[in-house]
Amino acid sequence: MVSDRALRAGVAVVALAGVAVAGYLTYVHYQPEALICTAGGGCETVQDSSYAELLGIPVALLGLLAYVAVLTLVAWDSELARTLAAAIALSAVGFAVYLITLQAFVIDAWCVWCLVNDLVIVPLLAVLTVWRVRRTSA
Amino acid sequence: MPPKPRKPPPRKQSGNRNLLIAAGAAAAVVLVLVGASLLLRGGDSSGGGGGSGGVTGIEEAATLLDAIPQDRAVLGAPKAKVTLIQFEDLQCPICRRYQAEGFPGVVESYVRPGKVKLRMVGMAFIGPDSEKALLYTLAAGEQGKLWQFQDALYANQGEENSGWVTDALLEKIATGLGLDWAKLKKDADSAVTLQQANSMADEANQKQIQGTPAFYVQVGDQQPYQVNPSSFDPSAFASILDDALSS
Repeated sequence: MVSDRALRAGVAVVALAGVAVAGYLTYVHYQPEALICTAGGGCETVQDSSYAELLGIPVALLGLLAYVAVLTLVAWDSELARTLAAAIALSAVGFAVYLITLQAFVIDAWCVWCLVNDLVIVPLLAVLTVWRVRRTSA
Repeated sequence: MPPKPRKPPPRKQSGNRNLLIAAGAAAAVVLVLVGASLLLRGGDSSGGGGGSGGVTGIEEAATLLDAIPQDRAVLGAPKAKVTLIQFEDLQCPICRRYQAEGFPGVVESYVRPGKVKLRMVGMAFIGPDSEKALLYTLAAGEQGKLWQFQDALYANQGEENSGWVTDALLEKIATGLGLDWAKLKKDADSAVTLQQANSMADEANQKQIQGTPAFYVQVGDQQPYQVNPSSFDPSAFASILDDALSS
């Protein structure tokens, strides 16, 4: 049986990983020379696409803010904080599915770092935060 | 008989209720975000060179590199003390950006005066178009114009893995640069060229190059070291190369 302390630490670690990846993508958005091409390509195509921003705000920056919010909520650690963290993580899962769909069928290119975030970090965060909420005491 | 104590509500119900609240909030947020993304997006700033049919950049490539000695993948005076090694994939749009923004300044300020020579290490990890582009670029080296061919290819770079490296494009570039197209095709298919490409791949693997462009500097016969220019502005390369020249 995994302790809540371990789950809380897990959420913090995953959120920190998310901060690192989203932080890098945000930096790259504003400093395009920082980007490198990796196997399979696609990074610049995705980063330059019109879907990379929402109302002028880079999607990567939104992700970064979400991860920072989760870290703050983990530090706060109340029943409400856990619920909010799960809400953020589940929102991220939904939006990640949308972004992956865009890359596959609309933009027709893949951004490796975006996929790391959408396929690994976000789902992991959702699992851990939901798990904590289900263990919430009355 | 004392009344039976009431059991407290089970934990699970509270947790499940909170989960429903979280899921509901998440659904609402996702709807808003997706809606905003679809309805309010601007236009694409897509990359990609080569227009429909025509090729571009031939004259520029010829002018930029005119009268600079080259020996296959090495550009510049053979006795230049410092070598700037460029790991690149000809399909990489970031490499194209370097080619457009940084490469001309490096050539004019350091290669043409004989201070620095460039060595290209071609990689083909983005996709099949990368392999074809690399083999033809290496083949152009057999006719003494690898660097002109590489520069012109970048100027006509298309969308990654879109099949943009066509025979028609390659022939137009070759013809524009005064290359023998039949010889170029033959050399691109040769074992020698393939061996060159494989050696470059081995070198990239040895250095664990994960992405392009990547830059190394070698002073004389010393071990090359990796450098990370802060931008593709020529001034960023100037500080790196000046350091190497003064060492």
